[in-house]
Amino acid sequence: MNVTLIGFLKKEFIQALRDKRMRVVLFGVPLIQMTLFGIAISTEVRNIRLSVYSKPMQKVGERAYASGWFLPVVADRAEEPVALVRDGKAEAVLVAPEDSVSRSIERGDGKIQVLVNSTNIIRARGIESYLKAIIPGAVEQEAGSSLFDVRVLYNPTLESAVFLVPGVMCMVLCVITIVLTSMAVAREKEVGTFETLISAPVSTAEILAGKMIPYIVLGMINIPIMLGAATLFFDVPMRGNVIVLFLATFIFVCTTVSIGTLISTFARTQQQAMMGSFIFLFPAIMLSGIMFPLENMPTYMLATAYFNPLMYFVRLLRNIMLKGGDPSTVIFNMAIMALIAVVCVVICLKRFKRTLQ
Amino acid sequence: MKNSGLRRARSIAKKEVFHILRDPFTLALALGLPVFLVVVFGFTVDFNVKDIPISISDGDKSASSRLLLEKFQSSKHFRIVYRNTITEVVSDLDSDRAKTGLIIEPGFEKDLQAGRPIKTQVIQDGSDNSTAGVIIGYLNGVEKAYLSAAGTDARAPNPMLEARFMYNPELTSSWFVVPGLSVVVIAILSILLTTLTVAREWENGSMELLLSTPVKPIEIIIGKIAPYTILGIIAVIFIYLAARLVFDVPFNGSHLLFGFATLLFITAYLAQGVLISVVTRKQQLAMQLGMISGLLPSLLLSGFIFPIESMPVFFQYLTSILPAKWYMMISRHLFLKDAGYMELLKPFGALLLLTFVLVTVSRKRFKKDLEP
Repeated sequence: MNVTLIGFLKKEFIQALRDKRMRVVLFGVPLIQMTLFGIAISTEVRNIRLSVYSKPMQKVGERAYASGWFLPVVADRAEEPVALVRDGKAEAVLVAPEDSVSRSIERGDGKIQVLVNSTNIIRARGIESYLKAIIPGAVEQEAGSSLFDVRVLYNPTLESAVFLVPGVMCMVLCVITIVLTSMAVAREKEVGTFETLISAPVSTAEILAGKMIPYIVLGMINIPIMLGAATLFFDVPMRGNVIVLFLATFIFVCTTVSIGTLISTFARTQQQAMMGSFIFLFPAIMLSGIMFPLENMPTYMLATAYFNPLMYFVRLLRNIMLKGGDPSTVIFNMAIMALIAVVCVVICLKRFKRTLQ
Repeated sequence: MKNSGLRRARSIAKKEVFHILRDPFTLALALGLPVFLVVVFGFTVDFNVKDIPISISDGDKSASSRLLLEKFQSSKHFRIVYRNTITEVVSDLDSDRAKTGLIIEPGFEKDLQAGRPIKTQVIQDGSDNSTAGVIIGYLNGVEKAYLSAAGTDARAPNPMLEARFMYNPELTSSWFVVPGLSVVVIAILSILLTTLTVAREWENGSMELLLSTPVKPIEIIIGKIAPYTILGIIAVIFIYLAARLVFDVPFNGSHLLFGFATLLFITAYLAQGVLISVVTRKQQLAMQLGMISGLLPSLLLSGFIFPIESMPVFFQYLTSILPAKWYMMISRHLFLKDAGYMELLKPFGALLLLTFVLVTVSRKRFKKDLEP
């Protein structure tokens, strides 16, 4: 390693870590965010305020409340079921047929009506499927043996934290590295030190390496911290090889740092760099597969998602941590991320040369 | 006295407008990006799952098992990959090639005809939260279709549950996603627009100039926020038009209330950006904080996709400090529901309070001394 590069690296490290608040942001905030989101968010639908409108439905209601998913809402008899939902007093209201339930069921035309507030379709779906599962038992019916014996692998209880925490880890890491690097070159341009840098006897490759290496290192320092929290606080299993995981993370951090640097070469001011990183981050997070399924997207969006390093990293992390890391899958996803990184670095080099002229 | 304060705030606003106009890139982004993102992702986000890759090993290869496979095929939810052994099925799940596996044991048809309890094993990839629950739900549909086709359904008829979905009867994804998405996008953009403004002036040294004038902190803050509020409102109008015209989302509430809520909401996030800027005085740090406090919390904690009601109680309260949570409630209410304005009192009150607190704190933290 040559002396110029070492000097350059030193300068970048000092610049990034000089501010105490920045150190907190770099090493404290990712952990805090991961813990916060890990505890708070889940895909489960809980605490559904259910009101039981008519007497015959009381039994169904009791079972529903006993299941733990529902919260009872004491309804005013005078109020219409529709009004309960409209005024936000209940999220769902069970309404029975006029006849007593069991009798109409004997006739085979029993219909239990439930009014559901579907302004949130995720909750509406959840409510419907919970009630479908609860009702047969409540009206003293044999639930019937199911044809399928479903066994859930990797996360048998479908614990939310187990799949969300690796996802949140990916997001937090992505945000922090992109934001850091995208401003690095833009700041030098804005302050005017970029010209000094160009006129100094350093090659473009050295500038690029000097800008990227410190942030890769800073990003990597977060990994053991976050991984420790994930496995200790959230009981996320670590079934794969830790070294493979570190390698995957290293490639991912290299990819995001090179994307950040690329944004930085395009931006003239830090404001533009920030907007640029937002333009990357928002779609990257939306198309990562953490928040909603990617399988059902229109083809043109799916094509965009194939350029999303975050999507590959989420898959990798889940595969390594939960499934133990299938070699061919791991290598495939790593290779694509590496390819994206290489393409970005090449474009960065080209852009730098153009600025020099 | 009051008048001259207003005049000074206006001058600052004017200067900020020049600043915005000088950077057409940012201007175009502020106006165009929100509606672009909402439209693109409004089409994209769909909570249904199609073409789930399912690996099937059929050990029976009888007429009955073929009928079952046919029901999987005709449900349109699954894309079948045939495998010979159980090991192959499991390895498909290990390597992400399939999300679900189905194993039909030999003797399936015999058991069925003899009336013995039959079990086919379904193995489900539990590592992906966005699909696991949905897929298990689809299995019920396949089972029902199969049993009625096979004519073996001797069970008493289940009481039918008839769910009436109010406000979004077809459970259309875009009706749910578009109003929510607009909240998230506007929140982040508002923070990003102002988060650098004051820090930039500190870094460039122009803040010292500004401080040597008789202008007061509150006037600087108002002057900085006002032009961006107008940008934000225009962006929301674009989004509103897209929601109505492109996605056919109904709007059942009062436009006046919606406008008022939007104004409060944008001001709150712009003020949050100013606060970050005032406290940090450094662009890079300001941007980190802006992204940290803007992007992920408004995506994950605002109730956009992950329901707030399902969070632990502590977080249900903690999320109350996010203006996005309240505006999300108001926005969904006004778009999809019609009546019950009493419900909006709390979100409006909270939004008003948050805006006030954010502006006041930025004013207090706006120290006029040169040393940070």
